[in-house]
Amino acid sequence: MRYLLRRLGHAIFLLIGVSILAFLFTTLAPGNYFDEMRLNPRIAPETVAALRAQYQLDRPLPLRYASWVNSVLHGEMGFSFAYNSPVAPLLLSRARNTLLLTVTATLLAWGIALPLGVWSADRLGRLPDAILSWGTAVLLVIPDLALALGLLVLAVRTGWFPTGGMTSVDFETLSPVNKFRDLALHMTLPVAALVLSALPLLIRHVRAAVADVLDAPFLLAAQGHGIPKHRLLYRYALPAAANPLISLFGFSIGALLSGSLLIEVVMSWPGIGPLLLEAILARDFYVVIGGVVFSTLFLVSGNFLADKLLYWTDPLIRTESSGG
Amino acid sequence: MNRRSSLAKWLVVLGVLHGVVACAGFFAPYDPTAQDRKSPYLPPMRVHLVDTQGHFHMRPFVYSPRLREGTFDQYEDDSMEPHPVTFFPSGASYRLLGFLPCRRHFFGADNARIYLLGTDAYGRDQFSRFLLGGQVSLLAGLLGAGLTLLIGLGIGAAAGYYGGWRDSLLMRLAELFLALPWLYLLFALRAFLPLAVSPLQAFFLVIAVIGIVGWARPARLVRGVVLSAKERDYVRAARGFGASPGYLLRHHILPETYSVLLTQAAILIPQYVLAEMTLSFLGLGVPEPVPTWGNLLASLQHYSVLVSYWWMYLPALLMVPFFLGYLGLASSLQAREEAYKIEGWSPGSLT
Amino acid sequence: MLLCPLLAQAVLLTHPVQASPQQKNTKEEFLAVPGEIGRPGGRLVVALRGEPKTLNPLIAVDTRSREVIGVMQADLVHINRATQLTEPALAKSWKVSPNGLEYTLVLRQGIKFSDGQPLDADDVLFTFRVYLDESVHAPQRDFLIVGGKPIVVRKLDAQTVVFQLAKTYGAGERIFDGVAILPRHLLEKPYQEGKLGQTGTLATAANQWAGLGPFRLKEYVAGQRLVLERNPYYWKTDAQGNRLPYLEELIYLFVQNADAQVLKFQSGETDVISQTGAENFAALSRQQHGYTMTDAGPGLEYYFLFFNLSEPGEKTPAEMRQKQKWFREAKFRQAVSAAVDRDAIVRLVYQGHGAPLWGLVAPGNRRWGNEKLPHPPRSLDRARALLKEGGFSWRNGPDGESTLLDAEGKSVEFSIVTSSSNANFSKIAALIQDDLKQLGMRVQVVPLEFRSLLDRVTQSKEYEACVMGLASYDADPNVDMNVWLSSGATHLWNPSQAHPATAWEAEIDRLIEEQMSARTFEQRKKLYDRAQEILAENQPMIFLASPDILTGAKNSVGNFHPAVLEPYVLWDVEQLYLKNGAENATR
Repeated sequence: MRYLLRRLGHAIFLLIGVSILAFLFTTLAPGNYFDEMRLNPRIAPETVAALRAQYQLDRPLPLRYASWVNSVLHGEMGFSFAYNSPVAPLLLSRARNTLLLTVTATLLAWGIALPLGVWSADRLGRLPDAILSWGTAVLLVIPDLALALGLLVLAVRTGWFPTGGMTSVDFETLSPVNKFRDLALHMTLPVAALVLSALPLLIRHVRAAVADVLDAPFLLAAQGHGIPKHRLLYRYALPAAANPLISLFGFSIGALLSGSLLIEVVMSWPGIGPLLLEAILARDFYVVIGGVVFSTLFLVSGNFLADKLLYWTDPLIRTESSGG
Repeated sequence: MNRRSSLAKWLVVLGVLHGVVACAGFFAPYDPTAQDRKSPYLPPMRVHLVDTQGHFHMRPFVYSPRLREGTFDQYEDDSMEPHPVTFFPSGASYRLLGFLPCRRHFFGADNARIYLLGTDAYGRDQFSRFLLGGQVSLLAGLLGAGLTLLIGLGIGAAAGYYGGWRDSLLMRLAELFLALPWLYLLFALRAFLPLAVSPLQAFFLVIAVIGIVGWARPARLVRGVVLSAKERDYVRAARGFGASPGYLLRHHILPETYSVLLTQAAILIPQYVLAEMTLSFLGLGVPEPVPTWGNLLASLQHYSVLVSYWWMYLPALLMVPFFLGYLGLASSLQAREEAYKIEGWSPGSLT
Repeated sequence: MLLCPLLAQAVLLTHPVQASPQQKNTKEEFLAVPGEIGRPGGRLVVALRGEPKTLNPLIAVDTRSREVIGVMQADLVHINRATQLTEPALAKSWKVSPNGLEYTLVLRQGIKFSDGQPLDADDVLFTFRVYLDESVHAPQRDFLIVGGKPIVVRKLDAQTVVFQLAKTYGAGERIFDGVAILPRHLLEKPYQEGKLGQTGTLATAANQWAGLGPFRLKEYVAGQRLVLERNPYYWKTDAQGNRLPYLEELIYLFVQNADAQVLKFQSGETDVISQTGAENFAALSRQQHGYTMTDAGPGLEYYFLFFNLSEPGEKTPAEMRQKQKWFREAKFRQAVSAAVDRDAIVRLVYQGHGAPLWGLVAPGNRRWGNEKLPHPPRSLDRARALLKEGGFSWRNGPDGESTLLDAEGKSVEFSIVTSSSNANFSKIAALIQDDLKQLGMRVQVVPLEFRSLLDRVTQSKEYEACVMGLASYDADPNVDMNVWLSSGATHLWNPSQAHPATAWEAEIDRLIEEQMSARTFEQRKKLYDRAQEILAENQPMIFLASPDILTGAKNSVGNFHPAVLEPYVLWDVEQLYLKNGAENATR
C-alpha cells in the first residue's frame, strides 16, 4: 500500500512538473499573446479586462502560473481566445471523441496482438513465425502518414467508407441501431490506421516475452503432466510473461490521448489532435497548455495503472516493497 | 558469425542508400526548386526502347509531353520526337557534399526534361525533390539523434557514476521528460518559436526541438550500463590503483555504453526522420521551397491530389527501403547485444 | 434609377387570407417572385467551412455567421444577386425626395416574424436605433453613417418609415441591403439591460429567436451541424401564389476545410457546393455522378500582394525600417508588378478558371471597371529597368545566381505572409517567390492561421509583405470603401490612418468621398475611374487574379442558378427545391 501511495505522489509530482515546463515554453514565445485577445472583436472590452485580471496576464510568470492553477481547480483550465470559452469543456468534448477512437483501437490491437504473438512464439523459428515477422516488419517500415493517406485513398476510390468526420448529417434522426452503424462506419478507417500502426510492435513484444518464458522448466514440467497446449500457453505461459507486457499496456493506456494526433488531422476526426493543431497555428496557448497537461495526465495514469497491475500480479514486487 | 554478417549486410544497405542521398545533387537531374510552369502535375515519364514506329533504339529515350487541347492537366506524348536519355550531362549547378561546386549530373535527357516521378503543382521534378528532400530529412534525423544521444550520454553517465542525490534528481527529471507526450511537446515547442524563419534556421530549430525532447530513454539506459560497469572488478581494481574518475570513465566505463548507444541510434534515427516529416507535413517544419520528405507528402492532404495525381505517393514508397534498413540494423544490433550479454562478454572490457 | 423601384423584377400581389388559419384581419402582402415553380418538401444539406460563432447580426463579423444569418434574416430593400440591381423586399416601395436626402419606405402589410409576431414600423425604428447605438458596437454602424452623420429614422405611420441622410448617397437604396430587421419583441428587453451581446448565441433555444428570413432555427449540434427549418410565416410566394420556401429543412454541416467539403459533396452527403477551387472543380467535373458542376463566370474576388507601408513606431526594428525603404519606393512596387506572372497564376492555381487582374474591379463587375486601365504583359526586362531607376543593383554570386542589392548595398530579402487555410494563397505566394527570384530577391513564404494573419496585418503590423484576397460583396464601389479610404480598416497596406500619408492617398480619399454622394452613375463612374488610375500608377496593391465562381449541385436540386455575388448558391434559397421527391439519401 505504501508502494502505491508513493507512486501516486510521484504521479502528481510529474503532473505539476509538466505543467510548469509547458508554461516555461511560453516564455520563449516572442510577441504578446494578450494583444491577440484584445484584438478579437467578438470579445467585449469588459470581458477582456476581466480575463486579464483573472489570469494575471500582465504579471510575471509565477503569478500567471498560479492563476492558471487556480482556474484548473475551478474546472476551467484557462481561457481559449479563439473559441471564446474556457478551455476545459472544449478539451473534454474533444477528448471524448479521441478516446472513442483510441480505446477501440487499443482493445482491438491487443486483442489481435496477444493471440498472434503467443501463436508465433509457440512456433518460433518455423515458417508461420517467419511470415508473421516479415509482415510486421513491412508494417513497421511504412510511415504512419503513408498508412493513413493510403487508407483515405481506399475510401475515396471504393466509396465503402465515409471520408472523414465522425457522424453523418442525419445522425440524430437515426434509430439507435443505425446510429451505431453510422458511427462504426466513420470509425473504421481511423481505427484501422491506428491498429495497423500499433500492431507490429505489440506483436513483437508479446512474441519476445512469451518466447522468453517458454524455455522455463516449470512449463516443461506442466507439459509433462499432460496439460493441453492451449491451456499451457494461455493459463501458464502468458501470465508468467506478463511483467513486460503490463508495462507495455501501461504505455498503451498512456498514449490514449496523444497517439492519434496525426491520424485525426488527416481523417478530419474531431478529437484533441485537430484542436491542438489549430490552437498552435492560432497561438491560443491556454488550449495548447491544457492539451499537453491533459494528455500527460493520461500518460501518467497509464503508468500508474501499470504499476498497480504489476503490484497485484507480480509477487516479487510485493515482497520487495514490503521488505524495504 | 551469422550476426556479424547480418549487421554488415544492413550497414552496407544503409551506406549505399545514404551515399546516394549524400550525392543527391549528382543523382538528381534538376534543381528541386526550378519550376516548369508549362508542365504542372505531369505523370511519371516512361522510358522507351522501342518507338511508335516499331524501331528499336540503342539509347533509351523519352517523349516530351504536350497538354491535351482544352484541358489544363491532361497530357499526351508528342510521339514524333524521341529524346534520348543522356548520361553525365551538364546541368544546374549544385554543391557536392555541401562544398564542391559541380555541374555534372548522373542523367538527363537530350533537349527535353525527364521526369521519372512526375512533377508537382509547379512543375518541379519530384525525383530531384525526393533525393534532395532526403538530404534534409535524413540529416535532421541523424543530427537530432546525435544531439539526443549526446545529452543522454552526458546525463546518464553523470547519474550512474556519481549516484546519490544527483542520480535521483536527474532520474526524476528523466521521468518528467518521459511522461510528456512527445508529439505534443514537439508541437508546442515549435509553436512557441517564431514562425517566420528562414529555411536554414527552421532546419536547425527542428533538429534542436526534436533532439531535446527525447533524451530520457537513452539516459536511463546509459545509466544502467554505467551502474553495472562501475561495480566490475577490474574497475574497482583500477580505482584502487588511484585512477581518476576521468580515466575510469574514458577507458573502462564509457566504452561499455557504445553498443547501447548504437542500438539507440538505429532506433531513434528513423523515429526522428518521421518526426521531421510530421512537422513539415503539418506546415511546422522546414518551409517551402526547400524540399523535405514531409513537404513532398503534404500535397496529399488535398482531395483533388488524392484522386487525380496518384504519382505524388511514389516518394512515400521510395522511403520504405530507408526505414527497412534502419529496422534491420536495429534488429541485428539488438541481437548482437543480447548475444554478448548471454556470453558474458563485452567489447569495452578488453582494453 | 433612384426614383422608382425596378418593376421588371417584382410584381406586387395582395393575397386574401387563406394561407394559415392563425391569420387575423390584416391582409398579408406577399412578394411574388418569378421563376420556375417547384415542389414543396425536402431537405438541403450544405457544407459550411467552419462554425458560425453567433446568430446575432449585431455581433457577427465572421463570414460563416453572416452566411447563416443571411438565410434567417431579411432586409428592407434587397439587391438581386443575378441582376446586381435592387428590388423591394420587406419594403414594398420607396420614394426619394427631390434633394436626395430623404427616403420614404412603405412596409408590406401583415408580415410576421418567424415566431408569429407581427412586423411594423416600430421594429424598424428599434432596429436602426440598435445598429446606430455606439455602445452596441454593431458592425453595421459604419455603413449607416453618411456624410459623417448617422442616418436619422422616424416613422410616419405603422407602415411607413422615413430615413434622413445628412448628405446625398450615390448608391441610393443599396444601403438597406443586408441590414437585417430585428424583432423588437425579443430584443428590446436585453437591449435595455445592456445584454444584447449575449442574445442570439448558437445555444439559444429555437423558440427564443426569430427573424424574417426564409428559415428559422431548429437545432444546433456543436461541432457538427446547424439545422434550420422552414419559416411558415415567410412573406414571399412563387408566381402561382404558393408560399416559399419550398424546402422543409436547410442543414449546414461544419467541415474543416475545402477538401473535406469536396469529399462530402462527392459522396453525396451535401447537395450543393460553392467556391470549390479549381483543382477540386476539375476533379469533380471528371466524373459527374448525379451532379453537375457549373462555372458561374468571373466573380468579384480580387487577390493581391501588398507591402507593409505603415508608419514605423518606436518598437519597429531597424531591419524593418530598412525594408520599408524599399517598399516605399514606387518603382520597386512597379517592378514587382511587372515581374509577376499573372498568366501562370491563372493557369496553375485556377486551371484557367479565372482572369488576370491589374486593378481592384474584377471582371465580374459589369459596370464599374475602368476599361482604359493598362494591362501590361509580364516583362522581366521592364522590371529590371524599373529597379535600376529605383537605385537598385545586382551582384553576381559564385553559383551563377544574382542578388538584388539596394542603394546601400544590402541584399533584398523579405517574407510574404499568407493564410494557411487556403492552399491557393500558398501557391500564389510560391509562384511569386519564384518570379522574384529571377530579379534577385530572396523571398520566404510564411503561412499563418487566418486570424493571426489578420491581426498581424491590421493591428500589430508585424509583417513585411502579404498575399491576400478580398471579395466585394456588391458591385457598387461603396462596398470597398474601407479599402479605398486611407482611414479604412481594410486599407491594408497602411490601415486606419488618422491623416492620409501620401498625396495620392489623399487624392483617392477625395475622389471616393465625392463619388459617394454624387447622384448620377456617370458622375460616379468618372470619379471612380480616376481613383482606379491612381491606384494603378502607385501600385500599393499589386493585383494578381480573380477566380471564377465554381459551383456544383446535385441534379435533384431544382432552380439552381448560381450568381457571382455572395452568397453564390444560396442567394435564392427560398426558390430551391428538390425534384422527384428525392429525400436526400446520403449514401
